[in-house]
Amino acid sequence: MSQVRIDKRIPQGKLVASGHLACPGCAAPLAMKLALNTLGSNTIVVMPASCFTIIAGPWPQSSLQVPVFHTAFATGPAVASGVRAALDQQGKHDTTVLVWVGDGGTFDIGLQSLSGAAERNENIIYVCYDNEAYMNTGIQRSSATPWGAWTTTTPAQFPEASPKKDMLAIMAAHNIPYAATATAAYPVDFVEKVQKAKAMRGTRFIHLLSPCPPGWKCGDDEGLELARMAVQSRVFPMLEVEHGQRWRLTMYHVGESVEPYLRRQGRFRHLSAEQVAHIQAGIDARWAQLVKRVEADSLVGV
Amino acid sequence: MSESMPTTPGPHAVPQVAMSTMSTLATRTGSWKYQRPVYHDRVAPCNARCPVGIDIEGYLNLLREGRVDEARDLLLQENPLPAVTGRVCHHPCENSCNRRALDGAVAIHAVERMMGDLAHQRPAPVFKGTPRAERVAVVGSGPAGLACAYHLARFGYGVTVYEAAPEAGGMLRLGIPEYRLPRDVLDRDIARVTAHGVEIKCGVKVGTDVPWSELTSAYEAVCISTGAHTSRALDVPGENLPGVRPGLAFLRDVNSGLRPSLGERVVVVGGGNTAMDCARSAMRLGAKVTVAYRRTREQMPAIKEEIEDAMREGAEFVFLANPVEFREQGGRVHAMVCERMALGEPDASGRRRPVPTGETFVIEADTVLTAIGESAALQNFFTDVEGSDAGLRVDALGGTSRNLLYAGGDVTDLERTVADALGAGKRAAIGIDRHLRHHAGDTAELNALRFADGNLSAARWTGRDPVRRTAPVNDVVTPDDVNYTQFRRAPRHGDPHLPSAAAVQSFDEVNPGMPEAVAMEEAKRCLNCGVCIECDVCMIFCPDAAITRTDGGAYVIAMDYCKGCGICAAECPRGAITMTQDRP
Repeated sequence: MSQVRIDKRIPQGKLVASGHLACPGCAAPLAMKLALNTLGSNTIVVMPASCFTIIAGPWPQSSLQVPVFHTAFATGPAVASGVRAALDQQGKHDTTVLVWVGDGGTFDIGLQSLSGAAERNENIIYVCYDNEAYMNTGIQRSSATPWGAWTTTTPAQFPEASPKKDMLAIMAAHNIPYAATATAAYPVDFVEKVQKAKAMRGTRFIHLLSPCPPGWKCGDDEGLELARMAVQSRVFPMLEVEHGQRWRLTMYHVGESVEPYLRRQGRFRHLSAEQVAHIQAGIDARWAQLVKRVEADSLVGV
Repeated sequence: MSESMPTTPGPHAVPQVAMSTMSTLATRTGSWKYQRPVYHDRVAPCNARCPVGIDIEGYLNLLREGRVDEARDLLLQENPLPAVTGRVCHHPCENSCNRRALDGAVAIHAVERMMGDLAHQRPAPVFKGTPRAERVAVVGSGPAGLACAYHLARFGYGVTVYEAAPEAGGMLRLGIPEYRLPRDVLDRDIARVTAHGVEIKCGVKVGTDVPWSELTSAYEAVCISTGAHTSRALDVPGENLPGVRPGLAFLRDVNSGLRPSLGERVVVVGGGNTAMDCARSAMRLGAKVTVAYRRTREQMPAIKEEIEDAMREGAEFVFLANPVEFREQGGRVHAMVCERMALGEPDASGRRRPVPTGETFVIEADTVLTAIGESAALQNFFTDVEGSDAGLRVDALGGTSRNLLYAGGDVTDLERTVADALGAGKRAAIGIDRHLRHHAGDTAELNALRFADGNLSAARWTGRDPVRRTAPVNDVVTPDDVNYTQFRRAPRHGDPHLPSAAAVQSFDEVNPGMPEAVAMEEAKRCLNCGVCIECDVCMIFCPDAAITRTDGGAYVIAMDYCKGCGICAAECPRGAITMTQDRP
């Protein structure tokens, strides 16, 4: 059978209920569905302010069939550290603490508490679902917004002028046990990374590219295809880093041109050919650097 | 969320917090949608393009599930001669296969051949419909006649086939050389037709041994499938010299077991399958062969593999060469004078027209075989039946202008291939059945028997289509509808070949066939375009967790929660989900 048999490798479960409040085509609840069904019901979710605060549902409803602790924007990893400590005090060492945060809560507002938790190597799994702007509050730019993108605070005449922060490198530099990139568009890859993270202890960080149809200005059904294009054009390579040392690509990247990826999204529609070429040059340079790092680390022993 | 947790202050109590106590199932987010997904099975391009009208996707899918006998029976519902077509068909199915865009078309011909050979070892039960009183005569036992007789027998009619040659098979026996189609294979496929009660009277030439009028009075309906046996003339000086002969006559000799002497150098004129058969047969008789064709390789109408095989076996090709004269020496042809051609504007066939340049050159030849096309010879025939030089004119069900006289195959003015003949024979059988049952139906009813705009399905005509499709929609799946990212690359399995040096030493079959196990693997490369095979992709990717799988295997979409995002339709590997704005 030449079809990729994803069904056998994707844990089925009902830990995310229908009726959640994500926009049509949002990839975040799909990612949550994959993550929670992989981690199982013995999981506590800590959720700083983000789209998912809304997606989880209005009180007294919750779309997640595990305990969820909603917290302030900057405090996700700090609260998770406390939850972890409380569980450990009760001897519940096998309960997973999952922090589920957007890019704003990770790249900008929550960076110091995340850095602190990582430095202490808190025993938590941290997933940043990155839709590349503050989508929930009305598509304001974040430091995860890529160079050249339109947002409501970086209009097309003055698009985003800073490159996207390299969050994976920042986290890898904390020498935590596990840091990886993923996307729900490659569910087997994502599930395997969650499984790998679950089997480890300490701070584990997964940076998840999460397409947002309203924010990216694409069709509701196009998000996953765009995520795959982002991977295959090396905008968002699939990686994992263990102990800040061993860098590894987790799939083959075709190296398609970035232009079709950009042109399919309204947030990039204003870009000139020169600007697209500039983005392509940046991708190529970062890829060359990444390949060197992967090759160098493949020479280092365990 | 434990409901036993105290919510009022007290000793060891937690502070009062807002805590959810129920799931979001109370929120019917399905009201947001303006479109909804529907499971619609559509038509795979192979099915639509098959001139025979075989449910290719259907039998490949049964093979994938390991239901080999059912696959064989589905194939035999439409095609009486799969061991033949698996070897000699020009397989337009593969040219339209959506897998081409990924890693090469599924080698459908190889799977069909394997199934055809397997059906010789494990024959399908003979199917006979409710017996009918009417009898039908079929004139000619080529693929069109055999298909017409086979289907009519399965519809319940008594059928007699008249064949002028000593053995049945028509062009399959007289035109196609044994190295492409071994005679025992042909015999076994024909035996399937006679096993259905069809009587084949060989050595009886209708119009000479039996008058046409006798047929029309003794049978309720007659189907003409006498083929096209006259080689078209070149109309150039010297064409009647000894040593210049029609390629078809040469093939007929060779295929009857004769080994005509050709001399050392043989020139074949033409670029079709007859030309390739002549060239490769002549090489097997020890000749050095040159093929002269007036256009270039790209415009050659012959099957691509046949051209490749002829080249591999050592035939030399001279393109853009148009014969203008044959020169004589010692009472026999000695050389062919050609005019160099150039390619001009496309003609009616869409191929670029050869235009003369005035420059000539000479190719020496001891024998010239002409194969520039055939025409149907209609002698001693009804004068009131409409037709042209290209053949008889027939309607969508093979009916001629004369009542209860049907026709199919090369004798008509339609495409002249084995597959087209098999398809035409089936159409005529359905046409005759429909007429004799006084079944008045309209075009829409006929179109429901087709795969998109393809040929009619006998399974659908008889209501015995075992493939139950979900709300079928009669449009063809295009590469745009296929989500190739869901498939792993799995290169096409190639056909084995005898080494060319050995192959040209005999008339043994050049392609010994894909081993059964390999062909079964090849069948699994099918993308199952347009047909849900319960792969779970829609269920896994639904962001709203609105798709569940029932015990029966089908999927149910909870419309109360589906937001209509369309991800299931976009992610479906095979285009089996359609978004619609229609109300349920």
